[in-house]
Amino acid sequence: MIESVSASIMAPTGPRRLSLGWESAQRPVPSGRVAFVSDLSARPRLVMPLAEHVAAYGRLPGGLTMRMVLDTLRAANLTGRGGAGFPFWKKLQAVATAESRKSPVVIANGSESEPLSKKDALLLKNNPHLVLDGISLVAGMLGAKSAYLYVKDREAHTAVNAAIRERRERGISELRVTIVEAPAGYVAGQETAVVRRIGKGPALPQFSLDRISSSGLRGAPTLLSNVETFAHVAMILRFGAEWYRQGGQGGDRGTRLLTLVGAVGRPGVYELSPGASLAELLREADASDPRAVLFGGYFGRWIDLGAPNTAKFPLDDQALAEHKLSFGAGILGVVGRETCPVVEAAAITEYLAGQSAGQCGPCVHGLPEISTAMARIALSSDVERGMHDLRSVIPLVEHRGGCQHPDGVIQLVRSTVGAFAEEVKLHRSGRCSAQGSHTSVLLPPGASVGTGGAG
Amino acid sequence: MRLVIDPTRCHGHGTCAQLLDEYIRLDKWHYPIVAKQKVSVSHADLLRRAAQLCPELAISIVDE
Ligand code: SF4
Ligand code: SF4
Repeated sequence: MIESVSASIMAPTGPRRLSLGWESAQRPVPSGRVAFVSDLSARPRLVMPLAEHVAAYGRLPGGLTMRMVLDTLRAANLTGRGGAGFPFWKKLQAVATAESRKSPVVIANGSESEPLSKKDALLLKNNPHLVLDGISLVAGMLGAKSAYLYVKDREAHTAVNAAIRERRERGISELRVTIVEAPAGYVAGQETAVVRRIGKGPALPQFSLDRISSSGLRGAPTLLSNVETFAHVAMILRFGAEWYRQGGQGGDRGTRLLTLVGAVGRPGVYELSPGASLAELLREADASDPRAVLFGGYFGRWIDLGAPNTAKFPLDDQALAEHKLSFGAGILGVVGRETCPVVEAAAITEYLAGQSAGQCGPCVHGLPEISTAMARIALSSDVERGMHDLRSVIPLVEHRGGCQHPDGVIQLVRSTVGAFAEEVKLHRSGRCSAQGSHTSVLLPPGASVGTGGAG
Repeated sequence: MRLVIDPTRCHGHGTCAQLLDEYIRLDKWHYPIVAKQKVSVSHADLLRRAAQLCPELAISIVDE
């Protein structure tokens, strides 16, 4: 087990770890286990220069062995923050033990292809050195020959670029990180699309019989994880697994960045300690009358707050799993009384159907049919037929795409008709419980979908 | 042996379903559904031919 390396550095406590030192305009002192860290403009309040970064977090820990690193990350139970929530130590071990003649490659994914997400760009803009520390440590451990940071946001790109230069000028000897620009598009963040793009191909998913951990970028064992995951690695290897877990047991007990959007008074990025309840988070976000929350982003699942005790359960991944939910890509979408969650889901489905990479038949043909069926249900035009079509089309699409895209859409659709069975019933009788107009609060800004096609 | 189709390459010509009707059927958009992944040794030649004849080279044979 690793000792905390630097006695002169106080390990950050409370919910503000990743967001240490970020100035928050509205609420400088975080309350309880939820810290509001930025509004959705996600402008950097303070790009932490290297000297301040080192003063706040300490120097890069040295003298680590792969065994120590794996044991520590395993004890910490850090899970990936990009969506799949896979234990990071397992990923690292798979790459470290891959049988390959090629040296491993490390990729930090900051492309944030979920259009509602802001947390990764914000992290890169405010705290680029923490992410670079994590990449540096992991690349060093693996003996990687190349490391990449895949990023879409322009300001984040600039901040990381400056941080890389600063590190070189200050004489930090480490593997040089290459920044690769991520194009727009929902599927550009899919694992194999990232690998292809960095390999100078199109940012489209690719079908492969091998996992990227054994054969990824140019056939090399490839470790790819979300930028927030790397930031946590940088802290865990400094302050230890115990610190990370905050004394908690079971699941991933670290803090996490969440983008909270929708029908709330204060949408933005929050840093959350596990154990805070959904009610606490919604209160902090000024949600006046929340009805439902979409957990995890567009491929997520709903929780209907009308069901008993739903807002009380602690927001940690074990409690979430009991409700069949997960943090996914770290996005929570709140729906109030103004809009209908079924209409919201239909709009998202239409948006996602339009984001297909157009490579696989079942995705290309099936998603528009699923979208049309959802529109029938949402618009109360022909709910019976919509439900019937969902039942017949979903089996023709599920598990038949070259990437997770269609299965993600199906997860959203299933969760919608499951969680809001009563609402669907209401739609059957031509009504809808939304008190406002039929617009969406969860569509990406600028997306124009008409939930049409159900004629 | 196992039969795997790369959905990103397949254009749904359906040649494979004709040759391997025991293993592959077509969905309503004429894309192949692999009904049975495991291919018996006696059909190995047929499978290899189907893989060669696929115009998109979308069919792989995984030995296990
Ligand atoms: S499943 Fe859809 S999004 Fe994924 S590779 Fe195929 S066509 Fe593209
Ligand atoms: S022959 Fe090839 S392209 Fe045609 S349907 Fe079969 S797998 Fe697809």
